[in-house]
Amino acid sequence: MKRLPAILVLFSLLVVVFSLLILRCFDLQYKQHDRFVKQSIKAQQKRIPHVGNRGIILDGRARILAAGKPVLTVFVEPRAIVDVKATSAAIAEILKIGAHTVCREILENKHRGYLEIKRDVGYEEAIVVDRIFGVGVEKQWLRTYPMGSLLSHVVGFTTVDGKGSCGIELEYDALLRGHSHYEVLLADVSRRPIRSLLRAPVQRSGSQSGQGVILTLDATIQSFVRECLAEQLTAFEAESGHAIVVHPKTGAIWAMVSLPDFDPTHAHRQWAENPRLFTNHALNDQYEPGSIMKPMVMAIALDAGVISREEKIFCENGLYHGKGFGSIKEYNYRKYQHLTAKEILVKSSNIGMAKIGQRLGKKRLHDGLVRLGFGHKTGIKLSGEATGLLRSADQWTGYSVTRIPFGQEISVTAMQLIRSFCILCNQGRVVRLHLVKAFVDSNGLPEVRDSRFEVADQVGYVIDPEVAKWIVDDALTAVVNEGTGHRAQLDKWQVFGKTGTAQIARESGRGYEEGAYVASFIAGAPAGDPAVVVLVSIRRPNRKLGYTGGKVSGPVVAKIMDKTLNYLEARGWALAHKESPERI
Amino acid sequence: MLAVRRINRLDDRIAKIVIVLMAIGTVFVYSASADVGEELNLKRFYDHPGLRQIVYFPLACLVMFTLSAINHRHLSFAQGAWRSFTPYLLILSLILLAIVLIPQLGTQVNDARRWIRVPIGPARISFQPSELAKWASIFFLAAVCAKNNFQIKSFWKQFLPICAVVGAFVGMIIAEDFGTAAFIVLLSFCMLLVGGAKWWHLLSPLPLVLALFFVMLYQSPHRIERIKAFLHPEQHSDTTAYQATQSLVALGSGGLWGKGLGNGVSKYGHLPEDTTDFVFAIIGEELGLVGTTSVILLFIAFIWMGSLVVIRSKDGFSQLLAGGIVLAISLQAALNIGVVTVVLPTKGIPLPFLSGGGSSLLVSAAAVGVLLNIAKQTADTEPANS
Repeated sequence: MKRLPAILVLFSLLVVVFSLLILRCFDLQYKQHDRFVKQSIKAQQKRIPHVGNRGIILDGRARILAAGKPVLTVFVEPRAIVDVKATSAAIAEILKIGAHTVCREILENKHRGYLEIKRDVGYEEAIVVDRIFGVGVEKQWLRTYPMGSLLSHVVGFTTVDGKGSCGIELEYDALLRGHSHYEVLLADVSRRPIRSLLRAPVQRSGSQSGQGVILTLDATIQSFVRECLAEQLTAFEAESGHAIVVHPKTGAIWAMVSLPDFDPTHAHRQWAENPRLFTNHALNDQYEPGSIMKPMVMAIALDAGVISREEKIFCENGLYHGKGFGSIKEYNYRKYQHLTAKEILVKSSNIGMAKIGQRLGKKRLHDGLVRLGFGHKTGIKLSGEATGLLRSADQWTGYSVTRIPFGQEISVTAMQLIRSFCILCNQGRVVRLHLVKAFVDSNGLPEVRDSRFEVADQVGYVIDPEVAKWIVDDALTAVVNEGTGHRAQLDKWQVFGKTGTAQIARESGRGYEEGAYVASFIAGAPAGDPAVVVLVSIRRPNRKLGYTGGKVSGPVVAKIMDKTLNYLEARGWALAHKESPERI
Repeated sequence: MLAVRRINRLDDRIAKIVIVLMAIGTVFVYSASADVGEELNLKRFYDHPGLRQIVYFPLACLVMFTLSAINHRHLSFAQGAWRSFTPYLLILSLILLAIVLIPQLGTQVNDARRWIRVPIGPARISFQPSELAKWASIFFLAAVCAKNNFQIKSFWKQFLPICAVVGAFVGMIIAEDFGTAAFIVLLSFCMLLVGGAKWWHLLSPLPLVLALFFVMLYQSPHRIERIKAFLHPEQHSDTTAYQATQSLVALGSGGLWGKGLGNGVSKYGHLPEDTTDFVFAIIGEELGLVGTTSVILLFIAFIWMGSLVVIRSKDGFSQLLAGGIVLAISLQAALNIGVVTVVLPTKGIPLPFLSGGGSSLLVSAAAVGVLLNIAKQTADTEPANS
């Protein structure tokens, strides 16, 4: 029969086709399995980020300087929404926002997968709005700065996506940052979750908060420092100013204020308007210090033994000139004859200092300044610290040796000044300035205690203790009691310090700007056992109102010193009061 | 006296294979109908394809066994054409096909008018007349070839009238359901080839058929798009080839053993038509290569059993009818699996017994019922002691 074979041939062909289809399935499901698994992951999985909170930043007395606050954010997935009008109307009604705005925004971003609708939504509203198709609610952390602009430069701020952007926030970003984790879910075509990728519920490691940082700063001290400085800036119509308060024995920074400042909460807007607000003058500025350098150079000279305390130096009647170093005059054209080391500091004689510089010579002066920390960074863990400028000795001219001793031809930072002053206060021992007291883990338990910073590095003396003690207790006390620093006198405590009035060098590098000064004052108290060191530096005060360190910065130092010492005493610190109530 | 009868008779084996296939189909239609957003609502029982299938499955078994009790020779023209069921079936099909084309009565699904929906109580019975037309034309061809003694000699008196009947069906279907129309043409071609038509008879309308095929192809832009997408799937993976791509992803990600029954992901909206034409991909995803191979092996077993029925059939009509039924079912299965595995361009052809949908399942079950009756009769004529 012809019929039967024909049917059987057709059937055999079909069996062959089916066998080939089995081979095709084998190829797809076995050989190309991995490729299709990868492809399916792309389309069929949804990753839900769980962002860990950023670590807290506390001051030395455990006050919150920066912390994350949970915020519910409502977002939509525009590409999943079919009826834009109805959806936006529903959203708008619950969130009490304009339906038209929502509708327009969704339509404008029709192809996107994520569009933020409203931040900081109440919990009840979030639950209701979450039920609308295509709408989601996610928990985010909003960085808050309860102290406002009080510590803006030190603490810094974070960007919108939670990255540290300056200050401690930037410096310890890796540490502070929370550990995020992604929950991987299988999702349907509208990105709705079906179930967890893992069939068995595995204990989640979860998101973790970042580590916290405890600073040495004290918000109380910081607040009166800022207040006093701001007052003076206004009074003298100055361009900017900075003030630093340090515990000289440990190098712990208690306050660091730079004005003008910014509000970390609105940092992004302010950055766009005026980026100059973000300069931390205490850290980023380098300037010729002026007379404030004199005690440091004097200490180097006494330490090197090129002069003695009793020796009188002839101050040339107000004009000292010679080959190779030009002519040097005293401030306000005063004329001095024979002055001791102490008198040179009290009267702030430029010529006396220049002669001491000449006696030291290039090498010893340079080495001494390096030992005191000039010309290199203090290593404080904040970004943007300037290095200052100390030329190497072989680049020095006759001018350098005679000018550096009274603070010209050298460029320093506030941090360098305060560190060298702390060395003097600390009887010649090196001090490491620091801002971070400790790190705490996400539960607030101390984790890494940075013990290196707790006490001064015991690297030995860079200045003879005797010399350092004499400079502080004798010479600089006299500066405050009898000399240019009289405005920093306090009734209760013996203050020691040195003024500095420096002209601002022209940007061209030749000469000085007319009438532009940096008025500085560095001081410590109480003499004998210093508990606090304060540096105040005010840039470009109005020349007509006053411009000397003593006049502009002195009163600020006095106020800060008084308040700080009273505050410390109230906290139980034993501080030595003045022995005699009368002024010497 | 106890008669010694063969256990595992041929008709029982075919019934078992078909029931296993329908059971697998029911399970996977239920699985594929899962949706994240919707919970099962028993008040809307008939709107849920998975639940509907649970009703259709026993109904299909009932239809299959009922028809297996009816002598298939009632379909033959041996007693005269108008005494058999076949012409009535043809007329019914034509009427239903005509109804579908009337806009007020036919229901449009996916831009094609293929369905009749009859509301009965809470349920809406959806019926696809082209399914019925397919079987009617097979029955008709088997009957008419047998009537002509498997010798179709005259082109004008024999071949052309047969072609005219089939052509009428194809013409009514082609506008709305190109796939089924082409499938009927292909089936008819095979049936006539086997049924004694001459080669040159069969080849003579071929240019016309081919011309019509290409005209239809170029008339509809989305058919060309589909073919383009089939040839270059990477360029169209988001648009036309989306379904094919998703089908491959479903199959491929299943791997050797699959993700486990019910654990598939593609069914959650990623793969369109997952309960109907692409249910095979869901089987591949959830049961892996093992599942897909098993299903294909069941179809091969069905062909094997079918060929035994054909061999054992004594008369030409039964032989051609059985052959036609087995051919129609397995060819359709092969085409569907070819589409799902992207060996063929995307075409809406359901997988017999497995795809969701009542009319396809019930009508296929009815056809198998006829096959079972043929198988029974081969057994009855065999010696009882074998």
